[in-house]
Amino acid sequence: MIPEFAKWHGINRSEIRWHPIIDPNKCTGCGLCVVTCSEKRNVFGFNVLSHKAEVLFPDNCMVGCNNCQVSCLWNAISYPEDIDYIRKLTKGISKEILARELREKLEKNPELVE
Amino acid sequence: MNNEGNPQLLGKKSWHGVDRMKLEWYPSIDGEACTGCSLCIISCGNSVFKWNLLDGKPRVAVPQNCVLGCTTCGKVCPEDAITFPSDPSTFIRSVAIRYKIYPRVKEELEDRLRKFPDHVVGKGGGGKL
Repeated sequence: MIPEFAKWHGINRSEIRWHPIIDPNKCTGCGLCVVTCSEKRNVFGFNVLSHKAEVLFPDNCMVGCNNCQVSCLWNAISYPEDIDYIRKLTKGISKEILARELREKLEKNPELVE
Repeated sequence: MNNEGNPQLLGKKSWHGVDRMKLEWYPSIDGEACTGCSLCIISCGNSVFKWNLLDGKPRVAVPQNCVLGCTTCGKVCPEDAITFPSDPSTFIRSVAIRYKIYPRVKEELEDRLRKFPDHVVGKGGGGKL
């Protein structure tokens, strides 16, 4: 895992069940999931023998993102949990951590303040 | 909202070859349900939101920056205060089909694997893209 992603708002990323799972029987190898995921997180690999996508770095997956799943025409991608799970997690985040993260983001990106 | 010429939009105008500006996809915040927790603005990597210091709440400032089909801010919102114009899956799949994105996706896949060769699996076996 990329060190930057080891914690999610104070929670250990390794304890969070959120990552794509590919059904190889449904994957057609179109590659959309691979390139939909950002270069920074780059969760997927591509198997040139089976011509299918593979999940290489599940813990790099951004918690709450399932853009790969929603765009897969063949419904080949699932997630271990749903939105209720994410909401329960978010309700447990420390307010102090969010306040610090917001302050840091606005200091780094002053154009986001209005 | 007209953000044409907004420098924040540079480099964000194409989705697998589809002109981003032709399509509507953006979050809307229910200002009463929003508690100002800031998870949406912290989570968004595309400067869609701005932070209003007066009420301590986010605003949707540059909707055209929103990644087509992305609903991450809505899913992490503890109050379920963020909605989108339609179901993301129905929306993005219809865009993918209507604009025939797959030849472009194939090129992007080749570029991605050239740039990140450790993401090619099975290459010892003589496989070809």
